[in-house]
Amino acid sequence: MGGIGIMKSTLFQQGIKITGNTFVYFLLTLFGILMILPFYWMIVTSFQIPENLITFPPKWWPQPPTAEHYRNAIKKAPFLLYYRNSLFIAAISVSSSIFFGLFAGYAFAVYHFPLQGFFFILILSTLMVPIQVTSVSLYILMARFGWIDTFAGILAPNFASAFAVFFMRQTIISMPVDLIDAARIDGAGEIRIVINIISPLVKSVIATMALILFIDSWNDFLWPVIIINSKYLRTIPVGIAFFKDPYHINFGPLMAATSIATMPMIIIYLFLQRFVIKGIATTGLKF
Amino acid sequence: MQMIDGFLFKAKKNRWHYAYLFIAPVLIFFGLFRVYPAVETLIFSFFKVEIVARRYQWVGLKNFSLLLRDDSFIRAISNTFVYAIYIVTISAFLGLILAAMFNSNMKLGSLFKAVYFVPFITSTVAAAVVWGYLYDPKFGLFNMILKLLNLPQRGWISSYKDALGSIIVFSIWKTLGYNMIIFITGLQNIPETYYEAAVIDGAGPLTRFFRITIPLISPTIFFVVIYNTILSLKVFDQVFVLTAGGPAEASTVVVLQIYNQAFLNYRFGYASSMAFVLFFMIMIITILQYSLSRKWAV
Repeated sequence: MGGIGIMKSTLFQQGIKITGNTFVYFLLTLFGILMILPFYWMIVTSFQIPENLITFPPKWWPQPPTAEHYRNAIKKAPFLLYYRNSLFIAAISVSSSIFFGLFAGYAFAVYHFPLQGFFFILILSTLMVPIQVTSVSLYILMARFGWIDTFAGILAPNFASAFAVFFMRQTIISMPVDLIDAARIDGAGEIRIVINIISPLVKSVIATMALILFIDSWNDFLWPVIIINSKYLRTIPVGIAFFKDPYHINFGPLMAATSIATMPMIIIYLFLQRFVIKGIATTGLKF
Repeated sequence: MQMIDGFLFKAKKNRWHYAYLFIAPVLIFFGLFRVYPAVETLIFSFFKVEIVARRYQWVGLKNFSLLLRDDSFIRAISNTFVYAIYIVTISAFLGLILAAMFNSNMKLGSLFKAVYFVPFITSTVAAAVVWGYLYDPKFGLFNMILKLLNLPQRGWISSYKDALGSIIVFSIWKTLGYNMIIFITGLQNIPETYYEAAVIDGAGPLTRFFRITIPLISPTIFFVVIYNTILSLKVFDQVFVLTAGGPAEASTVVVLQIYNQAFLNYRFGYASSMAFVLFFMIMIITILQYSLSRKWAV
């Protein structure tokens, strides 16, 4: 009797579990579809012949597919140049933030020096004054420097990162001091210790920081749109924002343009997704 | 012994110059491009700034008194608050619900995670351009779907009533994946034994969720709320792309007002006073975060 009772209850619980699981999968799938639907529609539209874009009901598949919108988009805007500008800016800002962040993080973790706490708080407090606050006066400063509409101007606020300093310090401070002492006894100079001994040990943190800073720089919009006037200096987000012709909106080429701008990054992300998600989840970081 | 101590002390002292050398580049960059402009933002908010003529005229509190009577700015402040409230409640709450579903070891877990995260890593500008097309009243997918379902169509971003709501829906889509990932990490840190003990004591799934999950994850909830609030105060890209603050300022936000006043109307002093108000709001949230997170020791 008791046995049957237990069996019944487990069967019942399994029933709940199965319907519960189905419900969970249903909800997750529904939201998942909502997450990628805009990208799906962007790609479908970019290959759809113009007549199909204004028909009702909507055509869910390009029939027949055409590359016409891509030809028009490339004719209208120099995407290769936008990519080059975005890559150049990301490369400089990421490597400079990592390099200076590594040394500053090491200094805050290993040394004891006067005003250490003050400087550390000062660097962290810049997080409280984001570019949205300082953009106006930074623009005026750039005007004094003659850096408006230059790469130097775009890069100016991004040569160093408070996050990089903070995470380098947190990582290095948890490392054994003996290691550094041993290297010193062996006669290694401080700069060589940072470059030859510390940096290989923190390379996974460096990789995570680099990735996050790269995404950050790649998608940055407010400061570039303020400081850039010339078409040839435009980054991808600025180029895309001004691609749209306000008087004659043609969605085919527009979706081809956004596909060109987003798909390479999304494909790279799909290969690195475990690493990207883990990096952002553990540092709690962004942008 | 004393000699060794003295030697060590000297050695430590001798490394001061390395310490300053190593932090100097960061301090110079930050001092010049972050701290100095931050201080100038405060100063300029008391001036009328003419950038080409390089003329700075002291106007006292005039910029701030103008702010109080600037309907567009007041609209921007209230829109930004409405936006923040919706993002924090809906995006953070949905993120927690979805994360709670994930926590059981599910088969397609990593696929779902990857999919939910795609909007977050995509450029806000490019994604907003795509959504601008989806929201198009005539050719957009959303109205086509409504028409297929025989539901009344909407004006979305081109209507005074829907504009801000449309931007909020876009931003929830954009940030949901991030909030979910942070919650998943938080949930994974809760020891499995707590749940096992609760099951033995006869606690159902809902009781477990409200009595174990919620209390133990509150530091994470707190972080997500603060993070989303500050992100909301800084919102700009999607508003610039989708509505440019329109129609008739219906969806304008604080950063867009700063941008328009400085770079369209060339009122740099006035824009600085707006930036100072924004800084003040961010500072209050940050102080709140600092004092409360010490209490929770996160």
